[in-house]
Amino acid sequence: MIYDQVVIGSGISGLVAATILAQYGHRVALVEQAPVLAPVLRGFSRQGIYYDTGFHYSGGLGDGEVLDVLFRYLGIAEKLEKYSFAADRFDTFRDVETQEEFHFPIGREALRDRLCTAFPQEREGIDKYLAMVQQACQAIPYLNLDLEFGQVKPMLGVHGPSLGEVLDQLIGNTALKGLLSMHSLLYGVPPDQVPFFLHASVAGLYYESVHGLKGGGLSLVQAFEQRLDELGVDVFLGQAAQKFSFAANGTLAGVTMADGEVVACRNCVATVHPQVVLDLVPSELLRPVYRRRLENLEETVSALMLYAACETPSQLLQGSNLFLGRLGRPLEGLGGGPLEERPINMAGTAPDDKGPGARGFVAICPAEQDCTARWSGSSLGKRPVEYLRFKEETMERMQCHIERSCPELRGTFKVSAGATPLTIRDFAANPAGGLYGVKHRVGQYNPMARTRVPGLFLAGQAVVAPGVLGGALSGFLTCGQMLGQDQLLERVKACS
Amino acid sequence: MTEQQIIDLINSSLVEEFELDPASMTPDANIYEDLGLDSLDTVDMVIVLEGAFKFKIREEEEIREIRTLGDIYRFVNGKSRQIKRK
Ligand SMILES: Cc1cc2nc3c(=O)[nH]c(=O)nc-3n(C[C@H](O)[C@H](O)[C@H](O)COP(=O)(O)OP(=O)(O)OC[C@H]3O[C@@H](n4cnc5c(N)ncnc54)[C@H](O)[C@@H]3O)c2cc1C
Repeated sequence: MIYDQVVIGSGISGLVAATILAQYGHRVALVEQAPVLAPVLRGFSRQGIYYDTGFHYSGGLGDGEVLDVLFRYLGIAEKLEKYSFAADRFDTFRDVETQEEFHFPIGREALRDRLCTAFPQEREGIDKYLAMVQQACQAIPYLNLDLEFGQVKPMLGVHGPSLGEVLDQLIGNTALKGLLSMHSLLYGVPPDQVPFFLHASVAGLYYESVHGLKGGGLSLVQAFEQRLDELGVDVFLGQAAQKFSFAANGTLAGVTMADGEVVACRNCVATVHPQVVLDLVPSELLRPVYRRRLENLEETVSALMLYAACETPSQLLQGSNLFLGRLGRPLEGLGGGPLEERPINMAGTAPDDKGPGARGFVAICPAEQDCTARWSGSSLGKRPVEYLRFKEETMERMQCHIERSCPELRGTFKVSAGATPLTIRDFAANPAGGLYGVKHRVGQYNPMARTRVPGLFLAGQAVVAPGVLGGALSGFLTCGQMLGQDQLLERVKACS
Repeated sequence: MTEQQIIDLINSSLVEEFELDPASMTPDANIYEDLGLDSLDTVDMVIVLEGAFKFKIREEEEIREIRTLGDIYRFVNGKSRQIKRK
């Protein structure tokens, strides 16, 4: 059997790419190193509570918005049950010392009014900022399906300005600057590095609509599982791709797996971390300058994560996330300094049939990879005792941090699991362990979909943007390059 | 830096980073037809030049117009003169 397409990696970008290619009638194989499909998205259960890992909420899922339209085209929209986050506070920022809060409402107008009420002196800057965000979103062809593909500028953002530069220009108040850059935790790049355009493409969509999925990320994975099955895509689980092989005439011939088996194919979409791409491709096929570029891509911040079960369901975290931090203290570097002084982002578990309130939550605290570097030789399930002790202590410190900052949660929750940079690294075979893979930052040229290797295309969060939306769009854009952009775009738009 | 030094630096950097044949590095060499670069290499060409000359290149239009090595020499010369004037 020779596949037309092998898709490597079953994250959101690989799932989208495999579905599109199969819908075009190609024979598709999907290869995943983890024993299950989409390890980043599918979450896990402990003591009857389902916890999300790589998906809590998303912009772009409102009826007729870009991700909604794409999901319809992919034939999974009807398998999903989305719900809106709280309209008056989808995200809350809480100052951990003063307990002062700011609630982000859904809708640009509502957000504008609330920001202007809280910072009346900054009205002009707020208006300009929101206008710039909207403009950026409209100018990005993959967010605005009415633009033509030809207008896609792959290097949008590389030359800046950064979010930090824009905020410095428009706004004087440091507390307001901090609030508007709070969402940098959603892409893992500090405000002085992230291109304003990237920030706008993530945060800007949350200003319009915010949705979660009933049943969480797992329901998304299950919808794709069904769809891939309907389309006859062959899924290879627990098998890491190791090397590409080539025919004598130089064309791509197949993918060699860790167990030595070769999956024969004509084309391949690799959705893995750029460092893994370098392992897969024989080095003489890439220019030294390109290899070095991929090797040197900076990685997003990593994290320490605490998963907790609530003794009584939490109203605080239902359809609403909580960001803990210090108002007016800039978010520099993200993962540095003592844990107690870093920001924390808390998200409740997705609603289920067992009644209102979140039955558990995850707390995500940015952290440098270094904090677990000592044990980097170990693998999942085989960690040394010192590491386990470190993890336990860290979870205790996070618990104290949370209880101090959220008096209403004191004594109401129990830690049920924890994760560190090593967990993130090993779950998704992401060698560098960042939350969102490589950074998108000013001055850094990320890889594009096309490569010098005939038949090899790239997709994934490194290529377009992080998040379920960024990954999904990247799968779509890469398929556009392979199949003809205009026709694919027409087909997707026909579903709006 | 003299014009010749600029040319030498461009040639040596491209030869190394793109694994080109030093003998083919003449001003009228077409970078696509003679040197075998393609549109995918443009970003990396920009990165090589930025690294060699320590300036940022934002002139996307001008970069797209480049056809020959001579065009690159002229582009870099122009930029370094601009920088000197500032
Ligand atoms: C804790 C956390 C919370 C998040 N919360 C949100 C959120 O609320 N909303 C949101 O939109 N986004 C969120 N994200 C971001 C989002 O999950 C990611 O950006 C997105 O899932 C990335 O998708 P991807 O397909 O690019 O990469 P991945 O999902 O990493 O897919 C790559 C796949 O390739 C596999 N692989 C690697 N090497 C090989 C190999 N050699 N052979 C075969 N397979 C291989 C990996 O196992 C992996 O499954 C969160 C991320 C994290 C970590």
